[in-house]
Amino acid sequence: MSAVVRAESLSKRFGKLTAVDDLSFDLEAGTITGFLGPNGAGKTTTLRMLLGLAAPTSGRALVFERPYAQLERPALRVGAVLEATDFHPGRSGRDHLRTLSRAAELPDARADEVLRLVELHDAGGRRVKGYSLGMRQRLGLAAALLGDPELLILDEPANGLDPEGVRWLRDFLRAFAAQGRTVLVSSHVLAEVAQTVDQVLIVNRGRLVVESSLAQLTARVGGSVRVRTPDGARLREALEHAGLETSDGDEHVLLVHGATSERVGEIAFAAGVPVHELVTEGSSLEQIFLELTAGAASPGAQPPAGAQPPPEAQQ
Amino acid sequence: MIAQIRAELLKVRSTRTTLGLVLGMIALILLFTLLTGLLSKITALSDVENQRDLLSLGSLAGIFSALAGALLVTSEFRFGTIRPTFLFTPRRSRVLAAKLVAGLLAGLAFGVIGEGIGFAIDYAILASRGISLVLSGGEVALLVGGTLAATALWAGIGVGFGAIVRNQVGAVIGLLAWGFIVDNLLFGLVPSVGRFTPTHAQDALIGLKSDHLLPPAAGGLVLVAWVVALAVIGLPLLARRDVN
Repeated sequence: MSAVVRAESLSKRFGKLTAVDDLSFDLEAGTITGFLGPNGAGKTTTLRMLLGLAAPTSGRALVFERPYAQLERPALRVGAVLEATDFHPGRSGRDHLRTLSRAAELPDARADEVLRLVELHDAGGRRVKGYSLGMRQRLGLAAALLGDPELLILDEPANGLDPEGVRWLRDFLRAFAAQGRTVLVSSHVLAEVAQTVDQVLIVNRGRLVVESSLAQLTARVGGSVRVRTPDGARLREALEHAGLETSDGDEHVLLVHGATSERVGEIAFAAGVPVHELVTEGSSLEQIFLELTAGAASPGAQPPAGAQPPPEAQQ
Repeated sequence: MIAQIRAELLKVRSTRTTLGLVLGMIALILLFTLLTGLLSKITALSDVENQRDLLSLGSLAGIFSALAGALLVTSEFRFGTIRPTFLFTPRRSRVLAAKLVAGLLAGLAFGVIGEGIGFAIDYAILASRGISLVLSGGEVALLVGGTLAATALWAGIGVGFGAIVRNQVGAVIGLLAWGFIVDNLLFGLVPSVGRFTPTHAQDALIGLKSDHLLPPAAGGLVLVAWVVALAVIGLPLLARRDVN
């Protein structure tokens, strides 16, 4: 099957700075791919090259096996949202959509259809300056959907969305991909897209560090199991004897790495140690993401542990 | 291409910016025509050149038309709408061509409104003060037709200038300085060069009789050449530069 999106040794340099460095990947139809990396990793630059807004320094960026600019009526094949702010504040949402639908040779009525689709129909006649950030995100998505495209490319779509909006977007993208269409969605927070995507591309400093399915990535993380027992010392001994690595909570709580709860429970049973609590710790996908992307692209861009990184400050 | 022109015309109509420019244009033309028409002596207004100057005040529409043309490009960069515009029409030459056509049409509308109001008021003032029109029918036709053509072409100049400058504030200040200061300075200091500036090509096109001006037809061609030259410079800049 041919690739819907293909990057071939894609590179982009701005003077001395290499923003995208020899990036290659293929995306197949019907998949949702998370394009992940810290701020400044080259995600947005890559998307701009895929969409023909920026020229690669070397390599090729292809959609449907062609450079974007060579697509006939591209809006009918590719929908994209790069910034949530790409509107004239004094123009109504409906008129914004109509300027685009006209350029794509679509009927004006299509603007109302997509407004209904993103649940903005009542606000369509209002000037965009009165829209909340969530409404602007949805208006951008409506514009991307005008041509009923087969491929959606979204740059940080969850920025500024409330939890309800994030859930709405997730359901929407799931339904979109279920029709055999393709989604490429970027984010600097893995957790934001982990429930949505099938596979991930993780970039750091312009280079691809991981290309894998979400399932493989999760398996690679390995579970960790928290166990509470009145006899921590004896359990630790038994676990280490079984070749498992532990780290301590306190004398009654152990954290066991790389094992399932079943295995830990069986070892405890065999050792005759009572267990009061046995819990598989929630996915530590975010931890491995931070490890993989340690040392962010620009000095000082690395967020402090546990803090929400600032929104992309690129222009 | 028709599709892109329709899109651009909707962009012109769907914000209040254009309306603001039209109102500003009307206010300025009213101010100048009323001041000149009411404060000048009857003897002065009976003179053919003074009458021509009075009736040419509608050509102030040109600078507003140029600003409207420039904003057609620069507001897209200012508000980021250039991204969806290029996503929907990745052939950037087509976008610029559509903006030129839409700009020329919008500029023509500016000319019709500006010259219409200016000429009607001037004519009413002359009639009410009992001054008879001494300009010939051909001269009036040149004045009106020339103003319409020049005002439309000014929008084309604005589009090309906007494509080169891209920055909105820079383009607006640049156009105002160009139209009101540079052209007049150049014409005052080096008239053999200054007569090729858009402002003085326009004066020539509408039949003004100042010294050193080109013949009307040559003035019109010079204005067309400005539109073409700026578009030719602006196109590769628009096509090659990355959009952030």
